[in-house]
Parts: sequence; C-alpha cells; structure tokens
Amino acid sequence: MNETFIDPVAAGAARDAGLSARLESLALAGDDDGTFLRILAHAPRYAEALWDAMSEALMEGGVDHTLKELIRIKLARTAGDPYFSRIRSRKAVRAGMTEDDVDAACGDFEQDPRFDDAERWALRYAHLMYRHPEQVNADFYDEGKRHFTEAQIMELGGLIAVHYGMQMFMRTLQPSASSPADPSA
Amino acid sequence: MQFAPEKLDADFYRRLQRHWSDEEIVELGAFIGFNVGYHTFFRTLDFYPMFSPDGRLVSQEESRRIYGDSPVSHLDPHVTAAVEAARREAESS
Repeated sequence: MNETFIDPVAAGAARDAGLSARLESLALAGDDDGTFLRILAHAPRYAEALWDAMSEALMEGGVDHTLKELIRIKLARTAGDPYFSRIRSRKAVRAGMTEDDVDAACGDFEQDPRFDDAERWALRYAHLMYRHPEQVNADFYDEGKRHFTEAQIMELGGLIAVHYGMQMFMRTLQPSASSPADPSA
Repeated sequence: MQFAPEKLDADFYRRLQRHWSDEEIVELGAFIGFNVGYHTFFRTLDFYPMFSPDGRLVSQEESRRIYGDSPVSHLDPHVTAAVEAARREAESS
C-alpha cells in the first residue's frame, strides 16, 4: 500500500480503540492491509459505524454477494480509487468471480451475455447513480421492480451510496490515485 | 471531493493539518463522502419530507408543493410563504 496523506493507525492501536472484530472481518472481504479502516480509526466511533455499514451492505442481505462485489469494484474504478479497486472479496472469488467478470462489469456490461437482465439493471444503477442521476427516475425504478424486490433495490442503493462515498474520500488520501471517471461521460 | 478530487493533494492535506487534527480530518472526510453518497441516492428516490417546516405531518403531494422541485432550506422565503398559504387554506376550510 502506498503512503497516504493521513497515516493509518497501527493495528494494535486500532484494536485498543475497540476495532478488533472489525479488523478480523477484513480477511473475508479481501482487505488484508486494512488501511482504510485504520485511517478511520483516528475517529473510532466513526470507524465502527461506517465500517459496519460498509460491511453489512457488501457481505449481508438478499442480493447475490458476487453481483454486489462487482458493483463495488466498478464504483471504485469510477471514483478513481486505487485502494478499493485492488481489493477482491474472498467470498466472491470462492463463489467463482474472475477478473474477466470484473472487467466485463466495468466495461460494456449491457452487451455481455454473462449477465442477465436483472444483473444488467443493477450494474446500470451503479453506472448511472453518480454520472447521470437524473436518469435514475420513476421509469428506471419501475424496470428495477421487475427484477428485484423493493428491499433488494434499497439494499443495492445503500451499497452504492456508502461504498462510493467512502471510495471518494479514500481516493483523495492517496498520491497514486487516478482521475475519477468523467461524471458527464 | 466530488467535483475536483485531484485538488485534494498533499499540499491541501498539509494545510488542513495546520487547522485540524487527523481525527477531525477523518471525521470531515468521512462525513462529506457519506453525505454525497447518500444524498445523490436519495435524490433519485424523489421523496419529500414527511413534515412541513411547522411540524405538521403532510402527504408527499403537499410536501412537494411546500418544498418545491429544487432543494431549498426550510428557512427559504419560498418555503415559509408556502407554509403560510397552506395554513391559511387549512383555517378557511
């Protein structure tokens, strides 16, 4: 991991701040270094709340985890965030997710036959949210309801919001970050 | 952070650290990221506050009339005028 503008606290200090369980949860999410959590650990109560929200949104719920992991990586690339772009959930990899799947989700997913209509809608949801939110309108949600329950749509929206928000913050902390994707593109 | 993140570089963080502790910078950065993330999501859901600025429980239709199509503070004169008009209408009916 490259240097960051705010130094992560040491793992021992993060444990002392009450984050032991959160540090242990990093392995399944594929985040072996835990840099972001250890940066958040400067503000331990923020770290607890935000990490729990990120973890719950990605690892739990009623939407397929691999689809959510593909969305998380796609958002990290949109944000131009190298840290979260590099991480791969071990749970998703064990379920069969490949780098080819990742590239497909981040590329021309609309034309890729590996995705069904529901998965295309979910990937489109992530693609449009911070580029063209005006296109995420009533018609868009009506189409989503043909594939997902309202609870699942809220799960996807919450995942997109919390992960993109934190990726955007993490992007600014890294000297090696690339320019984010053009929101108007 | 949202529109020109490349400007939040080493120099920017050095200047921040003259005024704020690392804990406070993390708090500010996470707060901004969280709010940009969620408010953009909320915008797509097209919902309005459940309450008028004077504390009445209102329908989504009435709330839309009070708060308008563009986001404004509940202290905005447009909003306070709409609340006053709704109150007068309620009193006369």
